[in-house]
Amino acid sequence: MAVPAFLDTIEQTSVSRWLRESESVFGFYFVLLFHTFGLSVLVGASAVLDLRILGVAVDLPLKSLKWLFRTIWVGFAMNVTTGILLVLAYPTKALTNPMFYIKLSLVAIGLSAMQRIKTRVFDDPGLSEAAMAAKARSMAIWSLLVWTGALTAGRLLAYTAPYLVYGVRGG
Amino acid sequence: MNFAHLHLLLNHFPVIGTIIGLGLFFLGLSEEHHHMRRAGLILFAVLAFITIPVFISGVGAQVMLRKAGISNAMIQRHEGAAMLALTFMEMTGAVALVGLWQSSRMSRPARWNIAAVLLLSVVTVGLMARTGNTGGDLRHPEIGGLQEPTGMEGTLGSFVHTFEPEPDKISNLMVFTKWTTAFLMDLHFIGLVLIVGTIGIYNIRILGIAKQMPIAPLHRLLPWGLIGLGINVATGMAAFVGAPEDYTFNAVLWLKIVALGLLGLNAAVFYLTGLFNHVERLGPWDEAPMSARVVAMTSLVLWCAVITFGRYIQVFQHSIPRVSN
Repeated sequence: MAVPAFLDTIEQTSVSRWLRESESVFGFYFVLLFHTFGLSVLVGASAVLDLRILGVAVDLPLKSLKWLFRTIWVGFAMNVTTGILLVLAYPTKALTNPMFYIKLSLVAIGLSAMQRIKTRVFDDPGLSEAAMAAKARSMAIWSLLVWTGALTAGRLLAYTAPYLVYGVRGG
Repeated sequence: MNFAHLHLLLNHFPVIGTIIGLGLFFLGLSEEHHHMRRAGLILFAVLAFITIPVFISGVGAQVMLRKAGISNAMIQRHEGAAMLALTFMEMTGAVALVGLWQSSRMSRPARWNIAAVLLLSVVTVGLMARTGNTGGDLRHPEIGGLQEPTGMEGTLGSFVHTFEPEPDKISNLMVFTKWTTAFLMDLHFIGLVLIVGTIGIYNIRILGIAKQMPIAPLHRLLPWGLIGLGINVATGMAAFVGAPEDYTFNAVLWLKIVALGLLGLNAAVFYLTGLFNHVERLGPWDEAPMSARVVAMTSLVLWCAVITFGRYIQVFQHSIPRVSN
């Protein structure tokens, strides 16, 4: 399949070129740094919720952790923003890589798992602590697996790209 | 100062420190001297940290030794011994931290933990001695006088050597299979998430955010942060061994190590000055004292620094010149 020409157009824009080619420490790696901060907030908050649901730190009331769902969205917002900039820097590299779509799907599944835990368990004031943990258990296990998969797919983007930039093969 | 200076400055700490640690731990086996046991455990954790810059500066010193004409076989012998000693030192440090955790929860470490610390630290003392010996041979020819490693070794040395990795082969394994690196870095990120999630939420609560959470139960999340730390020390050092010169001559890696050392000091302030015991008693909506908040803020800032330096390691490869005096 031919690589669409619009990817080349994006790469030639001044924003894309600056992000990719700038020698400044505030260029590409700065965006990547904030993508890392964002993922550690997003997945870190999810992991703490999952671990507690699965019985770690049982004396910690689940209800007191409800605020973490907002934190998850803060991390997600950071990573949508930085993620768009990263794709802008290397559109061909990202969009021609099947792993990129696997990663986005896993992120979507991970987020919806957390949202399900929130609406079905944390938003139900009638549930006792024990009932909350029991009801959320399998969703928490799935969430941990899916986030691990999303992190892995994200890391693998660096190693699986068929193109580095338009017209230049990678790998 | 150069890497050879730094290596010589630091390398005696693990060799002598592990002997002192073992002595303290041994004397502390009886319950009336449990303070000595605790001191031994803390010392092992500190040494596990110090051994990392010792090992890394050794690679810098090695480059200088090669220029000075020291035989490669001798250097490889020392590096192989150092890799094995480092591995056991890190394992000793890990079980020591588990022991410290258990003593804070149950007044004394579990039986298996005491046995594991004892066994691992005895092995580490031996391996450190051998590392010191093979290293001394490099710069003190008057002791051995030979430039050929096997000639100066007894039966025990040769026996231990069969377990020592060959540095060149390990580096090749990492360099030639990008999937090894991919796998290590994936685990490194999983470790990072565990650290940020557990330690982050604890510090945030101390700072006064989400005060509905009681502090003591939050601290029970911490072993998962320590698992993350363990994963990241292991995967970080494995990545280092794969391409040692990319990291040794890297200013940002050294900044990362300094930040991690400061985090260790910060943790020591928190746990050893009574701040930890104070905040453990705080229930929902209670405010932590200002001193605890300062420690929590310091921890958050330093972890951000560690992540920042880690992210920029790639960019600053070879930022330290190879020859300096």
